[in-house]
Amino acid sequence: MSILDQRKLIESIHPFDLLDGVELDNLMGKIDIAYYVKDTLLISKDLVSIAFYIIIKGSVTEYIDDEVHNVYSSGDSFDADALIYSKTDSKFVVDEDLICYEIKRDDFLLLMQNKKIQSYFLQDFVSRHQNLKHHDTQSELTPFLMAKVKDIYLHKICLVDESETILYSLQKQQKLKAKVIIVKKENSYEIVTDTDLKEKVLLQSLSVEEKISKISTSGIISIDINDFLFNALLVMTHNAIKRIVVTKNNNIIGVLEQLDLLSYFANHSHLISVQIEKAIDVDDLKFIQDDLSNLITILKTKGVKTRYITKLVSTLNMKIYKKLFEMVVDKSLQDSCCLIVMGSEGRSEQIIKTDQDNALIVKDGVDAELFKKPMLELNSHLLELGFPKCDGNVMVSNEFWRRDVSGYKTLIKSLLSSMDENKLQILSILLDAKCVAGDESLLVELNDYLHQSFYARDDVLAHMAKAVLNFQTPLSMFSSFITDKSYSNKLDIKKGGIFALVHGIRVLSLENKIVLTNTVDRIKELNNKGVIDKNFATELIESFDTLSAIRLEAQSIDKDENYVNPQKLEKNQRDLLKDSFKIVNKFKKFMSFHFHLNMVV
Amino acid sequence: MFFEMFKDFFKNRNLKRLKDERFKFLFEADVSGEYVVFDTETTGLNPKKDEILSIGAVKIKDNKILTSQTFEVFINNSCEISSESTKIHGIRKIDLVDAKTTLEAIPEFLEFIGSRPLVGYYLEFDIAMINKYIKPMYGITLPNQQIEISEIYYNQKIKFIPQGNIDLRFDTILENCLVPNMGTHNAVNDAIMTGLIYLKLTQGKNNER
Repeated sequence: MSILDQRKLIESIHPFDLLDGVELDNLMGKIDIAYYVKDTLLISKDLVSIAFYIIIKGSVTEYIDDEVHNVYSSGDSFDADALIYSKTDSKFVVDEDLICYEIKRDDFLLLMQNKKIQSYFLQDFVSRHQNLKHHDTQSELTPFLMAKVKDIYLHKICLVDESETILYSLQKQQKLKAKVIIVKKENSYEIVTDTDLKEKVLLQSLSVEEKISKISTSGIISIDINDFLFNALLVMTHNAIKRIVVTKNNNIIGVLEQLDLLSYFANHSHLISVQIEKAIDVDDLKFIQDDLSNLITILKTKGVKTRYITKLVSTLNMKIYKKLFEMVVDKSLQDSCCLIVMGSEGRSEQIIKTDQDNALIVKDGVDAELFKKPMLELNSHLLELGFPKCDGNVMVSNEFWRRDVSGYKTLIKSLLSSMDENKLQILSILLDAKCVAGDESLLVELNDYLHQSFYARDDVLAHMAKAVLNFQTPLSMFSSFITDKSYSNKLDIKKGGIFALVHGIRVLSLENKIVLTNTVDRIKELNNKGVIDKNFATELIESFDTLSAIRLEAQSIDKDENYVNPQKLEKNQRDLLKDSFKIVNKFKKFMSFHFHLNMVV
Repeated sequence: MFFEMFKDFFKNRNLKRLKDERFKFLFEADVSGEYVVFDTETTGLNPKKDEILSIGAVKIKDNKILTSQTFEVFINNSCEISSESTKIHGIRKIDLVDAKTTLEAIPEFLEFIGSRPLVGYYLEFDIAMINKYIKPMYGITLPNQQIEISEIYYNQKIKFIPQGNIDLRFDTILENCLVPNMGTHNAVNDAIMTGLIYLKLTQGKNNER
């Protein structure tokens, strides 16, 4: 009965709720309760962790390099890494008299045999360390830049003495399956390539009985085995050579081929982009799609910030659009129209392919009907490539989204005059338009028209802005999360936060004639124009980042998932989410004040 | 000094009365460095009339409560359980169907505590309850050193409020020591909480792990 109470307490703490009855009973027989007074040093570099702590009462601060890294309080636990890896860079100090459960090191490691528990802690480890490593690996280029020559496969060399004949050298090369022949001279090395053989032996009808030194070229270009691959690529490009000799302690040990170098980087973005450009038909692109999803996984596991992945993926998607456009639209028509993407694609804020929102602007005087067939084709290709259909039918296959410039102008005018929900939504979509192919000036013209039409139309803007207040921020007066009971205690992060930020910033941008589409870029521009101050801008960007990252995490499991369970988040992420919602509320207040929303019916 | 002498005298007299050689270990010097906190749930508050329903105990070593070595036993006695006491400990007659008899439970308890010092709240009562059984069975009373937490608490408080009235109720001490309430009143939970109070009162400024 009484042990049950202790058991219930443990059971209520994630991830121990994942244990089954027997396992939990076992665990209970191993847990002690410890008491530590304030300022006790629990774990540090020199004080090896001896137990896993679950806080019942009190708090503990984790320091890294004397900076506060995290604060643990009732219900929190620490520190799995210190136990798993037997070392830590952190320092854990009791901040307020601590009463905690203790699971001894060995018992904890035994507990880790349970797959569910294990995955929780290891995943925890990865995500936490991603945070720590952000400074180092923020750029997607880092792994590319960090790779060294020794990381790659090197070809054997065929080394012959200068006194050998050409025939002998070639035979030796054949046997070794080497790409080049290196000729050893008294104090130096020279190289014989296929080109040398062709130009100097075949074309000049030189006898193969001649000495090899007669056709070798001096001035071998080499690179040290510990140099970066990136440098190897630069050297090759600079000297227009296809292979480079690799040395170690000034001895030649192998040859690096350009082909291998490139294939090593094959899962890297710039190569994918080259592949996209080189694609001849849709099948090629389909093939690349697989690479793209691999790339995302690789970048994610390497700890790259979601914001960067998003940008990268958007850029690559744009390229795919452009490529498809070039494939389906006749060359003579390509300059008479402009293919645009809108919505999250237009803002470059999607990573998982959500709906495709795209449209075509046709030059005035050109028959829009000419584009019907190619656009239907484009649409079907996109579907094939895994860009899902748009539920609102905002696609080039829809006649509504395939009109000439004056057609769009009429549309915008009609949007101004009526204020129904539907029209406002169309306007919102249109505001995020970005040109991906064709003549960009057509979109610029439309944008100018848009901004002119809305200039000083505060009434319309206010009406649009009102949507910001449509959904309640899921944060109560006492800063706790309001979760949806009918949705297994989750909260809608899109409605609750992201929508308000994106839409609000969009309306402010329209008011201030900002043509940028990316929300972060827009916020920066609004700051430049003095609409919001620097501090607020930073807060907005950070919270937008946090919300998007948490949402993307959920979406990586289910692409339509906008619901997040705050209790399942890591503690520091939970705190960040809370802070982000506070900023969202601040932003809503700002919008209400700015557009006098309390007066808009 | 006289006090020590008396203590030894009583201890020796107690030992001489021991009828069962099995329990001689109770009189040996303790070498474990551990303490035992224990609590009993009874049918009432009169040791003469009332019976023990359950015993809960945990060991304390240094700054840890060894909940991994918890002792808990339910005892079935012929005696009726008053509805008053059921309200406190929540034990009904029906809960004791699988319980042990005093004859089984008490030796197990003695085995658990050994010669360790005993810690408790209103310990006198719990000791009296145990003695009530072991006196007729083995001829002795519990020889262990006894540590009363309300006394330690009183001594620490009185320094700050001389001549003050010190509230010695369990819940008050619990609250004052900032020990969380671990749930319902039962022997083991109460023992754990008492143990935490003991640690809080005695650990003081020792901030070594």
